[in-house]
Parts: sequence; C-alpha cells; structure tokens
Amino acid sequence: MIINRLRRLVENITIPVLAVILGLLASVFFVALANADPIQTYRNLFCEGFGPQGCETFSDLVIIRVEQEDGTSQSFFSPFYGENGHSLAIVIERATILILTALSATVAFKAGMFSIGMDGQLVLGALTAVFLGVWLPKQIYALAGVPDADSAPEALRTIMHLIVPLICILAAMTVGAFYSWIAGFLKVKLNVNELISTIILNSIATQVAIWLIAFPLRSPDPNSTPRTDRIDDTAWLIPFNRVLLPDVEWLEGARVGIGIVFALIALVVIGIYLYRTTAGYEQRMTRGSRLFARFGGIPSDRAAIRAMLISGALSGLAGAIQILGVDRRVVGEFASVGYGFDGVLVAILARESIAGILLVACFYAGLQQGATNLQFGNLPRQLGGIIIAFIILFNSMENFFRSNIARLQSRIRPNRGQAAPESASGATS
Amino acid sequence: MPKAVEMRHIRKFFPSSGVLACDDVNLSVEKGEIHAIVGENGAGKTTLMSILYGLVQPDEGQILIDEKPVRISHPNEAIHSGIGMVHQHFKLVPSFTIAENIMLGIEPNKAGFINSTTEAETVRKLADSFGLPINPNARIADISVGMQQRVEILKTLQRNAQILILDEPTAVLTPQEVHELYNVIRKLAQGGRTILLITHKLLEVKDVADRVSVMRRGRLIGTHNVADVSIRDMANMMVGREVILQVEKKPAQPGDIVLKAENLLVAGSGGVPAVFGATLEVRAGEIVGIAGVSGNGQTEFIEAIAGMRPVEGGNISLLGTDITHRKVRDRRNTGMAHIPEDRMTMGLNLLTNLDENVAVTRYQEEPYSKAGFLQFSAIRSFAQKIIKDYQVKSARVGEEIKTLSGGNLQKVVLGRELDGNPKFIIANQPTRGLDVGSIEFVHKTLVEARDKGSAILLVSVELDEILSLSDRIIVMFDGRIMGVLDIKDANEQDIGILMAGGSLEKDHPAQEKA
Repeated sequence: MIINRLRRLVENITIPVLAVILGLLASVFFVALANADPIQTYRNLFCEGFGPQGCETFSDLVIIRVEQEDGTSQSFFSPFYGENGHSLAIVIERATILILTALSATVAFKAGMFSIGMDGQLVLGALTAVFLGVWLPKQIYALAGVPDADSAPEALRTIMHLIVPLICILAAMTVGAFYSWIAGFLKVKLNVNELISTIILNSIATQVAIWLIAFPLRSPDPNSTPRTDRIDDTAWLIPFNRVLLPDVEWLEGARVGIGIVFALIALVVIGIYLYRTTAGYEQRMTRGSRLFARFGGIPSDRAAIRAMLISGALSGLAGAIQILGVDRRVVGEFASVGYGFDGVLVAILARESIAGILLVACFYAGLQQGATNLQFGNLPRQLGGIIIAFIILFNSMENFFRSNIARLQSRIRPNRGQAAPESASGATS
Repeated sequence: MPKAVEMRHIRKFFPSSGVLACDDVNLSVEKGEIHAIVGENGAGKTTLMSILYGLVQPDEGQILIDEKPVRISHPNEAIHSGIGMVHQHFKLVPSFTIAENIMLGIEPNKAGFINSTTEAETVRKLADSFGLPINPNARIADISVGMQQRVEILKTLQRNAQILILDEPTAVLTPQEVHELYNVIRKLAQGGRTILLITHKLLEVKDVADRVSVMRRGRLIGTHNVADVSIRDMANMMVGREVILQVEKKPAQPGDIVLKAENLLVAGSGGVPAVFGATLEVRAGEIVGIAGVSGNGQTEFIEAIAGMRPVEGGNISLLGTDITHRKVRDRRNTGMAHIPEDRMTMGLNLLTNLDENVAVTRYQEEPYSKAGFLQFSAIRSFAQKIIKDYQVKSARVGEEIKTLSGGNLQKVVLGRELDGNPKFIIANQPTRGLDVGSIEFVHKTLVEARDKGSAILLVSVELDEILSLSDRIIVMFDGRIMGVLDIKDANEQDIGILMAGGSLEKDHPAQEKA
C-alpha cells in the first residue's frame, strides 16, 4: 500500500517534468523559425522567469557567482540572492491571482460543476473593488469634512487603511459570488449546462466592463487608452517592500503584499473545507455521482449552489487583490487578459490538488514572466506563449504517460502479479 | 470433432489494478457446439473472451482458430478470423435504423454514396436466411431490448462470423425474450456455427449449452459435458466449496405494520403514469416480494417509496409518519434503508474510497461528524467493521473501491444499509449480476435482518429468488397490483398467470388489500 502510494507520488512528479521537457523540445521548431538559438532562448526564459538578477546560465539558477567590488568573486545560493530584486518575487506577485482563480475553478469542479466563469466573476470583482476604492474614501472624507485626501488627519487615514480595503474585498467577493450563483441557479433549477452559461456570463461581464471603463468610470485624466481613476491610497494593499519589509532587496520591484497571504490562507481553508467538512464531503459526493448523492440523502442541489457561491467569491477576491494590491486601477484591456482562464488551466494541470495548485501556479507564473521578458532579447513575445502552450499540451497527455509508465513497470517486474492472488477477484467480468 | 477455438496457456495480468485475470488458461471449443463459460464475478471470463476478440492483449499464450495459430491484436483481426462478439451493453446507434446499424462500416456504396434501398434489402435477406425476422427500417431507439440483441447478432453474421461470443446475453431480457434467444442460438449452432456463452446463470447453462467450462479466480477449473454435471456441481466448482442453493428460513412472525402505501400514483419517465393506485403493507419481521416482468412499474413503485421519484397521488407512511413528500434524508432518519437496483451509480460512488462510501448515510450524525467537521477515525472504524462483518474481500479502509468485484461491492452496500438494524429495508434486485457465493450471502443477510425484526420489501426479476425469500408475494402487471399470495399458497404457475396480466378465478385480486 505504501509502495503504491510512493509509486503514485513518483509518477505525479515525473509526468509534469517529462511534459516540460517534451514541451521545450517541441517548441524548438518555432524557436528556430524565429531565427533564435533554442538553448539560449530557454536559458533566457528560465533566467527571466526564476533566476536572480544577473542570471545568465542554467547553473546560475542554482548557484550564482558575483564579482565583488574588490575584484574577488563570491558564490550565492541563487533563490536567496536578492541584489536588485529577484524574479521569484515577481513570480509570487503573479501567482497570487492564479492561485485564487485556480482554487475558484477547483471548488466548482469538485461539485461536478464545470464552471469556467472565473473571468467574468473576476472582472466584476475588480470593477467593484476599483469603484469602492475610489468612491468610498471620497465619501468618508466628505463626511469627516476634509477637503481632500492629503489634509485628512493621520488617525483617520490609519483607520481607513484597515477598513476600506476590507470593504472593497468583501464587496468584490459578494459580487463574484452572486455572478457565479446565476450559473449555479440555472443549472440546478433549469438544467442549463453550466459550461455554456458561464461562457455567456463571461462575455456579458467583459462587455459591460469595457463599457464601464470607457464611459461611466473613465478617468478624466487625459490618456489615450480608457482607464478608471486610481484607487485612493487608503484602499491600497501596500506592497511589503514599501511598508513592512522595506530593506529586503529580494522583493524589489515586486508588488507582493498581503494578497499572497490571503491566497495562502484561501488554499488552506479550501483544503480543509473540501476534505474535512461535511459540506465539502457533500459537494464531492455530488460530483462523483449525482444519483448516489441523492440516494444517500445528500442535498446535492444545495451543495452545488454552495460550491458556485464559494467559487465566485474566490474569483471576486482574486480580482480585488489584483486591483487593490497590484494594478490600483482598471485599464481597458484588463477585461480581456484572461486571468480566470489561466486559473482554470492551473487547476486542471494541478489535477485539482491543493498542493499542486501552489506549485503549478508558481511555475506557470514564472513561465509567463520569462515569456513576457523574452521580447527584450529581440524575440517575438508570442514565442513564450507557444512554449507555454506546448508544455500544457504535453501535461494534458497524462493518461498516455501513465499507461506507458505502467507498461514499463510490468515489463521490468512481470512477476508482481503472483503477489496479489487475493485481489484477483477484482475488475474483470 | 474439429476444434473451432483453442486457447493455450493464456495469462493476463493487469498491472494498474494488480489483478491476475487469466492464469495459464487452456480452453478448447469444438466446432458447432454451444459452449458456456461460467464463473463468479471477476473470475476472468470476460477477460478471456476479450482476449479472443482482440480487445485485450494477453501477456502469454497462443490462440488457434480452426486449428491454425493466429495473432489477434485488434477486433478487426478477430472479425477477419470469423469471430463475432455481442457485448452485454449493446453497441448500437440509437438514431440509426436496424439496416444502418448492421451495415455500419460496410455500407454498399457507389462512389461514396450509400444506397439505402440495397442496404435494407441486404439486411432483410440476411435476416430471412437465418429465420430471424426484423424490420430493417425500424429505428434502434424504437425497438425492444430483445430485438436490439437480435440486431447485434445479425451484425456479426453479416460480417460472416463463424464463432459467436455472447457476453451475459440474458441479463437484460424478459423470460419470453430469453426463450427466443435460446431458439436462435440453437438454430445457429445447428447451422455449424460455434457459440461461446459467458454467463453466471447456471440454469441457463443447463437449458441451452452442450459443454461448460468453469472459471475460478483466473483459472479454468474444468470443462464438462452439461449432461454430466448438475447445477449444484457447477456451483460448487465455481465457488470452490459446498454451496447451499436453498435459503433456510423459519416461518415469519409478522409484527406491527411498518410501511403502508395507499393508492399510490407514480409517473414514469416522460410523465406517463407507471403505477396506478397500488396499495401495500409491510409488517415488521416479514419479507414481502414484488414479482413481475421488468418494466411493469416495480421500479417506479419502489423509487417512489424510497423518495427517489415524486408521488403524484396517494400516500406513504413509515412507522406511522407520513413520508409521502419527504426528502430521502428524512425517510432514512425515520428508519428506512435502501439497497438500490444499480449499485454502480446509485449505491456507490466508484470515484472515491471505501470510507467515504460508507459514510454517505451517516456523515451528518455523531460520531461521524462534529460541528460540521468529518471525524475520520469514527468513519474508518465503521468501514473496518463492515469489512469484517460482511466479509468484504480485498477491500481496505481508505482505499479506492472501483477495483472490487460486483459481489464485494454489494457487500459494502449491504453493510452500510443494514448496520444498525433499520426498521424498513428496500431491497431492489439485491443479487442482480452476482455470483452464486455472493447471492447466498445476500440471501442469508436479508433473512437475518428479517429475523431481527426488520420489514423488508424485495423486488426481483428472478422468480426463484422471490419464491425462496418472500413470506408474502405481490405480483405487479402494467402498473397495477394483480394479487397478493401467501408463500404457503404461492406456486410458479399462479404467479406466472398474474405476471402476464391474467387473474386467478377464485376472487378479484386486483386492488386487493395487501
């Protein structure tokens, strides 16, 4: 039994690593098409994605040698070498939103709801957050009789720093949850396929968002692309390198703040919810077999709706954190970036495992980061996207790898069958 | 006699599930015979036949067709060697006509255009030549299950199959359809074709087969002339020990009324009424059996009582509580247990482990959960108890259950449902698809529950089962209860008349109080 579990663990690690290698190999064709050297391209991809400043070779990803001012050189363990900032800090910044949207997808999937409505819920959550982040402080200042933000007393600003982001976040989660509930309600009451309804709801949310950003919420400042006002400073989730950890160079240039803490808490809470509570049990059994759940007396409709509400709230939270902690305003393109869809991919690649989401989100974020920066090396930006797509494609060939690994194992140790005569009564007829 | 099929030293191990499905199997089938292959669930019969049909590759061994060695690595090669297979679950396109299904993939065409008139004509000729009348232009979705099976058989014949593999062909048929099937099989064998019949119904073997091969745990125990072995012999060979085919039970001592259904009106799928005013009572300490040809409203009736289907009219009371429109959970809390017809999708969740499967009816109560959090130690020890008390073989706490055999899966269901002496038990086809050993266990368990004072409502399409388990028998036909018989007065003939919609002269049985 332990051997089986160990074997599964080895498989679960081998398959993604194999997929990455195959994905990189398959992309060589396109790298060559762009007249680039594959080795160098991949080196840049990983250095920009995961390496410290000054990372130039693959070995720099682990140990980096740095020339000191006195002419000698010193070696550092790369992940901890934070001079002038580190790509891993940016990985954390990017992974925050991926973790939350992937959790959102996972909660829905684990109730048998194939909802991909994360994008719509996230965009509406972001808009809610930006609207409140701009409007609410203004109202508070007006009530307090202060003409503008700068002349507000320090005490008031401190209180607002604690309360305003919280209100923005809760409102965004409520909006996300409501938007997700629509799809759940349609499924449970009218048997509308949730995949289709969430696609449509995404489309509606995106169009509404584009209009809101272009007209009612558009910032009056002269800017060619439509965008909203910037949120008030009191609504801002200030990054750690500005307030708590100003001296940590590792974090330089990364907008890592309380958001990642929220994301990690969400990981733990959702893990407990799904696997330790009766509510989580109800929704997982509903997914396994709706008929089984009904037969056992599980209120599966309620479980499905609850899953959709939680899923939507997580996506709303993701949108709020992205705005309050990173972007601080919503620009026109925000609606069509597809953060939510990336989250769905992360959830699928992580095979809906909670620990897997953390790992995959970080890896995916690093690849994205490296891919975006490829263009600075005179390479087409799209190349990064192609490489990521190949890696995902190979990762989704899980069953192919698994059956081949099994075949390999049975060829190496064909007499294992004798050890299991008791179980010979399973799974045939 | 020339040999049609010879399989030598066949070995097959499934590494993913750790199952050795075939262990040095030697099978020899003569040309023109009806050869039954029997065995418990998971004995390896289906795997062996899948190897012959090219669906599964053996690890070792050799196959000879017509005494010539062949390699069959794909069903196409099996078809080419003259082998045809009719699966337990038919592989037909419901929206296509019979002719289109039979000619699928081998359509007569001109430059890529199918000539449907020729198609239908070919199929009609084929059917007539074998004396199996069909309407080539009828849609699969519109014809009966027995007819669909006939289409599957014709499909293999059109591909010139000389060796036919039939996997549990009678599992889905009504008694009349079974008879027709036997006739078809005999006719084909007389015409020189070889029939391989996978089954675990021993009566069927006696009725139709010439020779029988018994499999047990991946091994072929022996091949015998059917005339030389009794049903008891075959059962003993299958299980590997003495089997008691007769259920031993004392006369019932019925107590108070536990379940009462009055004038129940239930809609079937598609809104058509399926049960018209059925009335029945089940008392503590008795087993009431519902007999009937499947599809006469038993399923709908039971599902309405179980809370899986809405009640349109009438009322149901359990231990004096009106449960007509109550949720499943309320009914279970009142004292109902339910062994469902379909253990794979309704009775169990095959995607998860044993613990979570046994928790489904109890996860809300202490000690299995506290303040909304599951208590795994309590659930685990409950699972452990079921494994022990119900002899669930090769199951482990915390392990996935999808690799368990049908009999062991049913034991898990039984354990979960019967633990704690429920007041009222619904047992719907409790032994369907099970092997002899498991059937014996299920029967014993149900009688024990009865003797402990449970009221049991049993539904089965196997008349033998109804007769051997029940204390009273209710016969349903066309959504109505045709009569109630005490086991002392019941005989197969009377029940048969009622099942076919007739009435026993002495009284007016329809609508009689149960």
